[in-house]
Amino acid sequence: MAQEAHGAIYDLLAVRGVSRRDFLKYCSYVAAMLGLSEAAAPQIAAAVEAGARGKLKPALWLNGGSCSGCTESMAQVDSPDVATVVLELLSVNYFETIMAAAGDHAEKAMDDTIEAGGYLLIYEGAVMTGEDGNTLLINGKKGKDILQKAAEKADAILAVGACAVDGGWVYAHPNPAGGIGVQSYLDTVKVATPVVNLPCCPTSPEWIVAMVVQWLLVAEDDPATFLAKTELKTRTYKDSVTGNNVTLNYPAYIVGSTIHDNCPRRGHFENGEFVTEFGSEEEAKGYCLYKMGCKGPQTYTQCPITRWNRSVSWCVNSGAPCIGCGSLNWVDNNAPFFKRLSSMQLGGGVGNVQPGTVGAIVGGVAAAGLLAHGLGMKAAGRIGDGPPMETAKAYDRKKMAKKGGDK
Amino acid sequence: MSSQAHYREAHPLVFVITHWINLICMIMLAFSGFYIHYPFFDGFMGVARGMHFVAMFVILINLVFRIIAAFFVKTAVDLGSREVDTDIKNWLPQAKNRHQFFETVKYYLFMRKEGVISAKYGSLQKIAYLATIPLTFIQAYTGFALYGPTADWGFFFGGTEWVGGEMNMRIIHYFIMWVFIVFTMIHAYLANVYNFAPSKIIFLWKETEH
Ligand code: HEM
Ligand code: HEM
Ligand code: SF4
Ligand code: SF4
Repeated sequence: MAQEAHGAIYDLLAVRGVSRRDFLKYCSYVAAMLGLSEAAAPQIAAAVEAGARGKLKPALWLNGGSCSGCTESMAQVDSPDVATVVLELLSVNYFETIMAAAGDHAEKAMDDTIEAGGYLLIYEGAVMTGEDGNTLLINGKKGKDILQKAAEKADAILAVGACAVDGGWVYAHPNPAGGIGVQSYLDTVKVATPVVNLPCCPTSPEWIVAMVVQWLLVAEDDPATFLAKTELKTRTYKDSVTGNNVTLNYPAYIVGSTIHDNCPRRGHFENGEFVTEFGSEEEAKGYCLYKMGCKGPQTYTQCPITRWNRSVSWCVNSGAPCIGCGSLNWVDNNAPFFKRLSSMQLGGGVGNVQPGTVGAIVGGVAAAGLLAHGLGMKAAGRIGDGPPMETAKAYDRKKMAKKGGDK
Repeated sequence: MSSQAHYREAHPLVFVITHWINLICMIMLAFSGFYIHYPFFDGFMGVARGMHFVAMFVILINLVFRIIAAFFVKTAVDLGSREVDTDIKNWLPQAKNRHQFFETVKYYLFMRKEGVISAKYGSLQKIAYLATIPLTFIQAYTGFALYGPTADWGFFFGGTEWVGGEMNMRIIHYFIMWVFIVFTMIHAYLANVYNFAPSKIIFLWKETEH
């Protein structure tokens, strides 16, 4: 049993001051994220252990059009923790932001890894397709071509963060750089390597770990079964850059319910207790942020459960409304962030308008129109008994007139 | 036009009741809808959502009932007449409405003096009343696409993906509410613009002679 083992993993953990208990707890947490029961924890521990003992699994972490926020989210560790240890089980041969190698050395490490094949590709950032891909050049090569080459020989791809999922904020209107998601791009170049998407801006390190563990679990026997063995949920959207319908795979657990459904402020929502202004008494009381534009009711991610920064807190917990970064086309769909509904981008000098404003104008114009019409009806003397009625339809009268009035 | 008498045959009791249910549900839906859109006072969210969910089922059942009843109940063929025929015939456009659409528009734009000949309802009225049927169903569709328990049914979720996500679905649902509000404003205005006899019959079931 895993608990009995004294594998390399425990030495690694001990060095970082993580107890075996912490480790197993973490494994059951990962199990939950994979949609497995807690009973799967020892199996996960064993897989991680095997990883630590055996040959490291090769991986590449490539950045497209990204702010490196997902890397930050991953790397900002102020205390030793299990997540980093697990990720050390991967031999990350190329990791732009944090690798020590540079220049030709780094390039060679990447080329060799691709050459050998059988690796896990982690892609952060949007695929920049604008200006025929010249909107992102790395070492003189187009970012989109690097992705295509790396994707072809990969066993599986993790698209980490909203940008890699569907283009994220890079994809937001007007998107001059042509930023799109990994799946969408691979569809256009007909690369069929399985992609699993991890939402949010940035994505949660815990979700990356869960997927890496899943990868380690299946890679043991057959990497080709990665998608089949992972419980998935799909979402389809129409990519406005390519014009294609794109179907995305997400881990089911991560996108299974809305933030609103798991929110600790939900009781206040039901009771109708809302924050109307930041810095108010209501805010101090921890009331619901619905009126401050919280997008929790339509955002399907596990944020309230996984939480952020080593499970310390998360957006709504820390007092900010959810801005819906876990949804598709999230900036256009959720801006302005402090308003409940997104504005409509009407353009043509009108700019961005809130639906409520449009509704009120339509209602107001209708009311004014009816009032004016009513005054007209009064002036025309129709009020009371109504107008004098015609004796025959205008159409029939005209027809009769044409016939010369004969009957 | 309205100088006609208003007899009960025009709106038999069942339709007076369906109209009441329609009105009450619409008020409840619009009020709770506005509240869900932006809670303008505290302490009502649970009730507002409950109200919305109850009223939405009631209005749908009422609408289906109203449509089925149209095939069985007889109503007056003309305002001010006691002669009756199956209601659906009086609902759909009839021979009497033919060639009268533009004349009706002209009448309301003060481009002609005399009122136009119409059946139980004029061309515009018939279009408006008929349009409320698909509109209610579309509103129900967009509503169920937002409703937690039904949102991920393929039938609704497909639509949500098609319009580009739940936010757009919400905005559509919100706009259709405004369409209903504007419809009701125009409808209530036109029905009562000459005098309140039509309301007396549809709400109080009180006949008026003229
Ligand atoms: C007929 C079936 C209807 C269904 C199934 C339905 C369902 C819903 C649902 C599920 C919501 C979201 C509530 C929440 O998030 O808690 C909603 C919101 C709303 N509904 Fe309806 N509804 C229906 C009809 C109507 C009608 C007839 C109106 C107006 C006349 C209306 C106006 C609204 C408004 C304004 C909102 C708030 C939208 C927002 O800003 O998020 N609904 N409805
Ligand atoms: C202020 C609210 C309302 C008033 C004063 C009002 C008044 C009336 C009147 C007077 C009639 C009879 C028309 C005639 O015989 O010429 C009528 C019929 C009708 N109204 Fe309304 N109404 C109101 C709200 C609504 C609403 C909210 C709806 C639905 C969205 C609606 C749908 C209808 C329909 C479909 C008819 C045809 C009656 C039938 O055959 O069942 N009304 N209304
Ligand atoms: S803070 Fe947001 S997610 Fe939480 S209950 Fe309120 S609306 Fe829902
Ligand atoms: S709570 Fe909302 S804004 Fe915060 S990370 Fe999750 S999806 Fe993004």
